[in-house]
Amino acid sequence: MRVFFRTAPMWLTSLLMLGLAGCAKPPPASDPDALAYYKETNDPLEPFNRKMYAVNNALDSAVLKPVAQAYVFVLPEALRTGIHNILSNVHTPVQLSNDMLEGKPRRAGDTYMRFLINTTIGCLGFFDVAAKWGYPNHDADFGMTLANWGVHPGPYLYLPVLGPNDPRDFAGFGVDIAADPFTWVGQGAAVTALNWGRWAFTAVDARSRLLGDIDNIKKTALDPYATFRSLYRQHRQSQIEEMENDNRHTVPAWFQQPAPTH
Amino acid sequence: MPSRRFLLTVSAAWLALGAGARAQSADPASAFVQATGNRLVGVVNGPGSTQQKRQALTAIIDQVVDVNGVARFCLGRFWRQASPAQQQRYLELFHQVLVVNITSKLGEYQGVRFTMGRAEPQGDDISVDSTVFRPNNPPTDVKWVIANPSGDPKIVDVVAEGTSLRLTQRSDYASYLSHNNDSIEALISAMHHQVEQDQASG
Repeated sequence: MRVFFRTAPMWLTSLLMLGLAGCAKPPPASDPDALAYYKETNDPLEPFNRKMYAVNNALDSAVLKPVAQAYVFVLPEALRTGIHNILSNVHTPVQLSNDMLEGKPRRAGDTYMRFLINTTIGCLGFFDVAAKWGYPNHDADFGMTLANWGVHPGPYLYLPVLGPNDPRDFAGFGVDIAADPFTWVGQGAAVTALNWGRWAFTAVDARSRLLGDIDNIKKTALDPYATFRSLYRQHRQSQIEEMENDNRHTVPAWFQQPAPTH
Repeated sequence: MPSRRFLLTVSAAWLALGAGARAQSADPASAFVQATGNRLVGVVNGPGSTQQKRQALTAIIDQVVDVNGVARFCLGRFWRQASPAQQQRYLELFHQVLVVNITSKLGEYQGVRFTMGRAEPQGDDISVDSTVFRPNNPPTDVKWVIANPSGDPKIVDVVAEGTSLRLTQRSDYASYLSHNNDSIEALISAMHHQVEQDQASG
């Protein structure tokens, strides 16, 4: 992880160079429909992005997908759900800080209670007891927090390994890693191995949950790259809207309730 | 001067009336989604070969989905540019592609079930929430957008985990067209190829 941080500027610069080399030309103003489409897709790096999409597809079919298939084949569903829950529980500190930065006290409360209940009664997060007790899970990351602060996503970005992205969410991804206490806690080979194991399991878990869906999209789309681009943006937009519309008030149920705000 | 309490009561009554009217108008849409969902799940979980299931699903889709409306939406600005003959062929192919896509999404699962959520107006349409459970898959939030809820209800969109099927399809076609000189003929032959390939693979 530290090596990654030290080399991050180098990586970013080389990515940008590649990107600029593969910039798409906007259509001329004489073709307003095409120009409107170009602005709507907001994908000026499309040639570069498509190359990265091909690279990721090769990586995926060589490594991640077979591993995820084996994972599903070997482990029963209950165990996989438990592992997913543990990974999600380990992530709660980051989730909590983002809930607070988004100014969503009820979401922060949900996250806090989830951590308390699931870490203890839920056996280190294996069982999601909290969801059954009225503290459902929700999405929170620094990309969403930036959106909440009014930052626009910027042009579409397809990154090697990470996949669909945009500058806002990519920055958010970096901040979330830095904000994660487990990035910094402890030293030595065992801790490093645990951290890498966590990221590996997170990747395999996420991929295994999308096995059927991704295959279906590739099979049914005429242009899978554009379809994934649209899906990514719609999904992020819906996560952000759900967060912004969550205005549950903080007055206890037994106290006189203020009028709901719209 | 009316007291504040009186004003509050009146406004509360108005709010309640509004909410009641909304709930009532949303109701036929929920009933429609519930009935349609039951029919779909009945076919998917029921006996029969893939071919038989596909036929049964096609019959349901023809009844409950505004296929031509969705097709026109998905072609966007290119609908106007297409010749009547192209429009006709596009509509036919879209219908077949839709059936193929839906059956390939639903067909392979056994033990699908769903629960209903709340309904709320969305413009002229009504959207009805549901959660779909498929074995070996995390539960999915699916929103059904219903046009004409009180007259002749039809599904115009399905929104899974915040992603709209018709919007996604439209951007797929738009991108394909922009990489093929905006040729509607190219899109039609690609769709034709898709349907043929599916028939070949059974």
